[in-house]
Amino acid sequence: MSAVVENHNHHDDHHHGPKKGIMRWLTTTNHKDIGTLYLWFSFAAFLLGGAFAMGIRAELFEPGLQLMDPIRYNQLVTMHGLIMIFGGVMPAFVGLANWLIPLQIGAPDMAMPRMNNLSFWLLPTAFAILLSTAFMEGGMPGFGWTFYAPLSTNYPNVAYFVFAIHIMGASSIMGSINVIVTIMNMRAPGMTLMKMPLFVWSWLITAYLLIAVMPVLAGAVTMLLMDAYFGTSFFDAAGGGDPVLFQHVFWFFGHPEVYIMILPAFGITSHIISTFSRKPLFGHSSMVYAMVSIAVLSFVVWAHHMFTVGMPLVAELFFMWATMLIAIPTGVKVFNWCATIFKGSITYETPMLFSIAFVVLFTIGGFSGLMLAITPADFQYHDTYFVVAHFHYVLVPGAVFSIMAAVYYWLPKWTGNMYDEKMGRLHFWLSFAGVNITFFPQHFVGLAGMPRRYADYALQFAEWNAVSSVGAFLFGLSQLLFLYIVVKTVFAGKKATPQVWDGADGLEWTVDSPAPYHTFDVPPKVK
Amino acid sequence: MSNGPLKNKVFVSLLGAVTFMFFFSFMLVPLYNVFCEVTGLNGKIYGPSDFFKKNNETYERQVNIRFLSTVNGSAPVTFYPSETNLEVMTDKVSKTSYIATNNTNKRLTLSIVPSVSPGLAAENVKKIQCFCFSEQTLEPYETQEWAVRFYVDSELSENVNNVYLSYTLFEKEREEMLAVNHEH
Repeated sequence: MSAVVENHNHHDDHHHGPKKGIMRWLTTTNHKDIGTLYLWFSFAAFLLGGAFAMGIRAELFEPGLQLMDPIRYNQLVTMHGLIMIFGGVMPAFVGLANWLIPLQIGAPDMAMPRMNNLSFWLLPTAFAILLSTAFMEGGMPGFGWTFYAPLSTNYPNVAYFVFAIHIMGASSIMGSINVIVTIMNMRAPGMTLMKMPLFVWSWLITAYLLIAVMPVLAGAVTMLLMDAYFGTSFFDAAGGGDPVLFQHVFWFFGHPEVYIMILPAFGITSHIISTFSRKPLFGHSSMVYAMVSIAVLSFVVWAHHMFTVGMPLVAELFFMWATMLIAIPTGVKVFNWCATIFKGSITYETPMLFSIAFVVLFTIGGFSGLMLAITPADFQYHDTYFVVAHFHYVLVPGAVFSIMAAVYYWLPKWTGNMYDEKMGRLHFWLSFAGVNITFFPQHFVGLAGMPRRYADYALQFAEWNAVSSVGAFLFGLSQLLFLYIVVKTVFAGKKATPQVWDGADGLEWTVDSPAPYHTFDVPPKVK
Repeated sequence: MSNGPLKNKVFVSLLGAVTFMFFFSFMLVPLYNVFCEVTGLNGKIYGPSDFFKKNNETYERQVNIRFLSTVNGSAPVTFYPSETNLEVMTDKVSKTSYIATNNTNKRLTLSIVPSVSPGLAAENVKKIQCFCFSEQTLEPYETQEWAVRFYVDSELSENVNNVYLSYTLFEKEREEMLAVNHEH
């Protein structure tokens, strides 16, 4: 798309600049400031959740109990999951949405700037509540991020967990409403829905998913709270409830949640692959339809997480076929990315490296997902490390790599400085090696029967677990390099041009680098 | 926003969607129970059966019923079936019993939850009388025999020859400080 932008630099003196000091960040309603806050928050959560993961892998480095008792281990596993999902991946995508959606659709800001501020500041509050359990008698939650009842209802400090989830949910819902209202009402003249950039499309769909399922999560934790403290028996068989019902309600939220964490990654990857192949994206509309189909299908596949609870054959078959059906729109997307690369003039800057790795490794994760979808085979794989390998392949080199690619890709636009390309590539190769050394062997131990969520394991799994731990330490340490690169780019570096990448296309590349505090006061015209 | 977000159609409809989905999650509870009741999935059994409404046009055959018992957690109760299995004819009412002993010096209130395996046979196992229909109370060190009257209706799938009827016993309440109460 092309755009006509008027130069409004001479209007700058009309604007109030950002406030000074801490009040700038506490009271800001600027989408760029809030995007930055979200991104730094998610980076901090990524490092904290990563530290927990290092603890897990250190304990699993060799069989036996070395560093912690099983209760502490379970707490680390639980908090690793909760922090990475609700504090790492989701806020990172919301941060990208805040920075990029107004810039990409030619809007001056998000539709509801004050709500935007509130939805960010709820997040540190929620995590303060959740993490405060670390200093209490009874400790942090240790029932897994899936908090299956009645295990979780009998756990100490579960109320803190429930309130933290409620607040995170409120934050996500407000963020999503803001995204949808912004996209629906504030697009630049001439930008029809089908002309919207794919990142904006992916977030529009994600926001609808969030609005549909976050209230269901809120309902699930509310029922949990009532079971634990108010004598109800939603999930307690003794009072006529049903523990399997919990799993249905949870996964009715949980499966769309999985796509909430990957759809924005699809959008990001589409932009980056097109830029560095110097070709328009192959099949823009089919990408949109594929994402919509994935989102719709995500509501009818939840029970594939619970094939072993004793469902009738018909249900097992239905959920198996529905799950496999998702491979078709996902296949369309992978095909389109390959077709975009095909005969392109490709260069391998860091964002492109991360995006190509995303396509390859996410597809590996998708294939192991298909294996898990086969009901009779799933009885063998259920609750083994094969599942752990599967969802880490779609989340780490999937969601997390796409976030890193996005940071490298748009960092020059945010800071006005180019990052250090050599260091970026080094970070990529270390991460790429680390991820594969960590998670690929988990396929093997999983197929050999190693169960999830235990602090100890049988001797025959020792070698691959040692390999996996070494890979995890490599991956973990190389993220400190990422932190160093980002901080260095914020303060120094070669000045970036407004265009930054010669193949880049879109409204965000028509404003200066760094993007001025206020952009698109007068909407650009999109042809 | 000078005119306020509540005037924004998109915002208001999204707010409505959030509210609806929150209550929908609670609607899932009765929906799930109705679904299980209609389809007989999950081995769930609902209330006493109306035996006399049945028509008797179907043939009879023999089915083996096995009785299982589980004590949940650390409930201080000994609980077992008086017979481990029974050969019954379909549509004929049979009777058996479970025996429960309170191993404490306190009065216990218990609830017992039945389950049938295979799950699809649940709708064919009809109980006319069962100790699971209401809560049971055991005095200190008391032993009781609890009766079950049931029949297996002849619509039971031909593939099923063995049906497991399982009861899980849960401790609901323990009367604390029984000795003190006697003194009063």
